[in-house]
Amino acid sequence: MKSGGGASAKLLRRKRVSVPVIAVTGGKGGTGKTTVAVNLAVGLSMKDSKVMLVDADVDGPCCAMLLGAELSNGEEVKIFKPVIDAAKCTGCGKCVEVCREHALVGLEGQVPSLFEELCSGCKACHLVCEVDAIKSGQKVLGTIYITDSNGIKLVVGELKPIEPRSPIVARATMLRAAEELEHDKYDVAIVDTAPGIHNVVAQALWEADLALAVTEPTPLGAHDLGFMLDLTKELGLPTEVILNKADIPGGLKDKVVKTSRDRGVGIVAEIPMDEELLRSYVSGEPLVRKSPKSPAGVALLALVPHIREMFVKGGET
Amino acid sequence: MKEIVVASGKGGVGKTTVAASLAVFLAKAGTKIVAADADVDAPDLLLALGGGKTISSTEIEASEKAVIDESKCTGCGNCVSACPFGAIVMDNHRPTVVRLMCEGCGVCKVVCPFDAVEVKKAVTGTLKIEDTKYGFPLVTGYLRVGEHNSGYLVASVKNSGRKTAEDLGAKTLVIDAAPGIGCPVIASITGASYVIAVTEPTPAAKRDLERLVKVIKHFGVPVGVVINKANLSDDFRGVLEDWVKHELGYQILGEIPIDYEVVKALVKMVPVTEFNPNAEASKILTSIAKRVKDEVLP
Repeated sequence: MKSGGGASAKLLRRKRVSVPVIAVTGGKGGTGKTTVAVNLAVGLSMKDSKVMLVDADVDGPCCAMLLGAELSNGEEVKIFKPVIDAAKCTGCGKCVEVCREHALVGLEGQVPSLFEELCSGCKACHLVCEVDAIKSGQKVLGTIYITDSNGIKLVVGELKPIEPRSPIVARATMLRAAEELEHDKYDVAIVDTAPGIHNVVAQALWEADLALAVTEPTPLGAHDLGFMLDLTKELGLPTEVILNKADIPGGLKDKVVKTSRDRGVGIVAEIPMDEELLRSYVSGEPLVRKSPKSPAGVALLALVPHIREMFVKGGET
Repeated sequence: MKEIVVASGKGGVGKTTVAASLAVFLAKAGTKIVAADADVDAPDLLLALGGGKTISSTEIEASEKAVIDESKCTGCGNCVSACPFGAIVMDNHRPTVVRLMCEGCGVCKVVCPFDAVEVKKAVTGTLKIEDTKYGFPLVTGYLRVGEHNSGYLVASVKNSGRKTAEDLGAKTLVIDAAPGIGCPVIASITGASYVIAVTEPTPAAKRDLERLVKVIKHFGVPVGVVINKANLSDDFRGVLEDWVKHELGYQILGEIPIDYEVVKALVKMVPVTEFNPNAEASKILTSIAKRVKDEVLP
């Protein structure tokens, strides 16, 4: 029997860390993933939980901005890239043949050329070269920043513009965060993912114990939530839905409820429209700290005890 | 062929609303067009246009996935350590490929001493062509969940859009792109004639636009900026306008105010410009579409 392509991820997910990891995701863009992730992290921190916030939306990381945190001294995310020693190369063509991304091109008898933007850094060329003509070079795909912001450890992954391979940077960010989690005693880690359902999101969800899927009561929000819930189902990841902009005029809450219920997923919070939320978004001060009594602030803070149940033994103190 | 791409760094700023109103305006003004939804992760343009009649549906096999032959595998684990994507995990002493993570690079096949790995074609997603009620066809890419190679699917969407346009004698393709700056966005922008970059007056949206502009500049495509939800923050709106005009040197095609008619129209699945042409947002969206028609199209 053959295994592979269709193997269920459910049984295979292995957490590298023992700390509970909550991923905030959602399918459609602009539904409020980052707002939920940041305010949840701050709300937990206000309850004296030791929190790590990981920004794995490497295409457009905005957690630092919403937290009002400065990022500096980033660590580069590097991958392998082949550097061909023309003096040693015999032009056998093995590397060209093995490169499935067609990043190495050249006729037999020629020293191959590298199309760097296509290279995935897999090293297959390096491994098949029999004359040791392919040396290990490096290519920078992005940057990881680690900083402290009001007691929250913030880990941010950022894709370098013009580079297409977001999933590699998302994976590097998650691995770096896992390493950092080992260094100190954290209670919980919150991960903010990219929008969508492709593998950059799957990489960010891999470590999670719970996914919070943030959506809005529009046909688009409900439609994209369906795809998202299919992804978390395939990952075997327990998921709860957060309905943002819940009272948007003419909203279609029923559609979101149906999309969720059809997949056995419940709605855990409803966040109302709130001008204060907008002000906090623009000012870079999280709502739950700036205006904890505002309608959206209250709704976001109500999530805190729910998440604390995952790691506080014997109930809320 | 003129290819107009509606893009944004940040999600949820209004790409689909702008793309829908542009496409409908052009079609009503007598320009033959084809629309393409290249946001293959979250394809919503069809919903914004009120659905359509399916003309064709094709599976796209652009992905490759490792497949392990258990009869040959000894469980040595070479593939597990070689995989750069963490896509092979040991399960009960047997390496198992996680579809959601495998990018099909094939290094596992190279390191396997027992020839137990094959790399096989896999389904990336589905390409659908639909006739909309506004008299133009829409090509949509639907990515299979957790799949890689979304850039290839986007390229397929664009190619199919071009071909559909040629068959109809249309010379304009309106493309709704994904948020972000990664693979699918790069694939959308490559070869475009013009990018409409949609943003909103928040620091996060400005920063994401800043990153998108780096990508657009790399490809040398001309840009016009649309500021949506313009009165979200009056202070930051000034900052954003100044930056777009003076630092980026781009023209602002229009500034759309917050208008709940947009939400009502979305819920009814009708472009707001059709739902209520006199709504404040509709007026601006129409003037943006007119500008694009006059200034970008032949």
